[in-house]
Amino acid sequence: MLTGLAVVGVARFLQQRQDFENATARSYQVEITARNRLARGANPEATRATIVNQQSKRQALRDDIDGETRDTALLVGAGLIAGLTGAALLFSGLIASMRRPLEELVAASGRLAGGDLEARVKVGGLSETATLGNAFNEMAAELQRRAGERDQLETMKDEFVLTASHELRSPLTSVQGFAELLMLERDRLTPQQADTVEIILDNTRHLVRLLNDLLDLARSDAGRLTIKPAPTDVAALVEDAVRTMRSQTEAAGQALHQEIEPGLPQVSVDRDRIRQVLVNLLTNAHEYSPEGASIEVRAMHRGSQVEMTVEDDGPGMAEDQLEHIFERFTRGDAGLTQHVGGTGLGLAISKSLVELHGGTIEADSTKGQGSTFRVRLPAIPAPSPNGPPAGNTDAHDAQPREGAR
Amino acid sequence: MTRVLIADDSETILLLMRTRLEMEGYEVLTAADGVEVVEAVRSADPAPDILLLDAMMPRKSGIEALRELRAAGVETPALIVSAHQDEMDAGAPTEAEVSGYVTKPIDFDRLFASIASLTA
Repeated sequence: MLTGLAVVGVARFLQQRQDFENATARSYQVEITARNRLARGANPEATRATIVNQQSKRQALRDDIDGETRDTALLVGAGLIAGLTGAALLFSGLIASMRRPLEELVAASGRLAGGDLEARVKVGGLSETATLGNAFNEMAAELQRRAGERDQLETMKDEFVLTASHELRSPLTSVQGFAELLMLERDRLTPQQADTVEIILDNTRHLVRLLNDLLDLARSDAGRLTIKPAPTDVAALVEDAVRTMRSQTEAAGQALHQEIEPGLPQVSVDRDRIRQVLVNLLTNAHEYSPEGASIEVRAMHRGSQVEMTVEDDGPGMAEDQLEHIFERFTRGDAGLTQHVGGTGLGLAISKSLVELHGGTIEADSTKGQGSTFRVRLPAIPAPSPNGPPAGNTDAHDAQPREGAR
Repeated sequence: MTRVLIADDSETILLLMRTRLEMEGYEVLTAADGVEVVEAVRSADPAPDILLLDAMMPRKSGIEALRELRAAGVETPALIVSAHQDEMDAGAPTEAEVSGYVTKPIDFDRLFASIASLTA
């Protein structure tokens, strides 16, 4: 309202200023005419009075207009302040009505970025923020739809890998089983027939490993590689893995020794998974080492951990190879890999499995001087004298344990 | 002589397992699905000493058959044979129901060791 007054005031002032200038101009006109008359010597008394009159009249006009200028300036100042205050009030309302939706958008974006695909904003307020809100909600809905599709595909892939693995495993079981049966009758086969069966067996084992590794990899990628830990006897675990490898190392004329420290504490592990890790390390030692090589498996107590090592005196690895040994599809020397049946996935899977158990795995090697792989797993603290820990109920745990403890 | 009842819907696998087990000196009974397993356990005389059941079979799975037998009070040790441990994730049998697992392809040396310890 004050602003309106100021505008009116300024307009009135401009009119007054015009009037003042006109009146001043007229007064000068009168004075100049009087001075001309005075110069001509006509009625000097009256003319002089007129001049003085005009001068004081202009002074009065000037005083008037100065007062008006001061008043108008004050009015304009007040008007300006009032106007600015009004504008500020108006804008702060506008800003407030935009701020809430914007803050909500920022919060929802944060949630969306954090993986909460249900994040949406309430749409309302100014048309601009409403449009923004709608756009955000549409984007979030689209993201959610695509994530759903991706999950569905992931599940389908998983089921496919599982089904394929099952369907392939039955015929493989027959092929491997009957080939093994033939090898039990090796004495009745010609050397050429025995070699042929050996080749069938080698390739079947390779296929089975590929199948297992691919399945584990699919599980690992989906974050669904799970373990079912139970208190487990380390000696039985190592012996089980060694027994599995014995026929293969013997066929290559390799010496496979085990050395298990007596009185080792139990470890809480998924027996089949840690056995898989040990078999994998032993298979690598067997396949990368030449005929007649020596492979040592040891288990020992190391502080609060149990350490299992697999050591061979094979070709070893250079430092740059060693660095990448636990990465996928990394294998030993290219020159050697053509004789090696590995998938290049075994150590990557072994690392995931050991780490799932809260353990560590590391490799140590010198080119030309063999390799040592070290697995460390947390030991179950020693039991109190009157409460020994429950034994593993797994059937395989009840197997004979010659030389253990 | 230890009597082993084996169940699998694949005749080839049954033949393989029967051959290997008989070579080890076991007496072998066979079943093609869970229904035959339940029948065989009830009617066989003498009863089998251990059951070796495939996890997935038509009509009645090895796990279903085992559950039924356990409910009827049969305590014969049982090993479940599966293509992969993953198959056990759904409807996994309890420890009371199953004595252990055997995965395919079958590691016969491990299997014989398990049977020996469970029937000792």
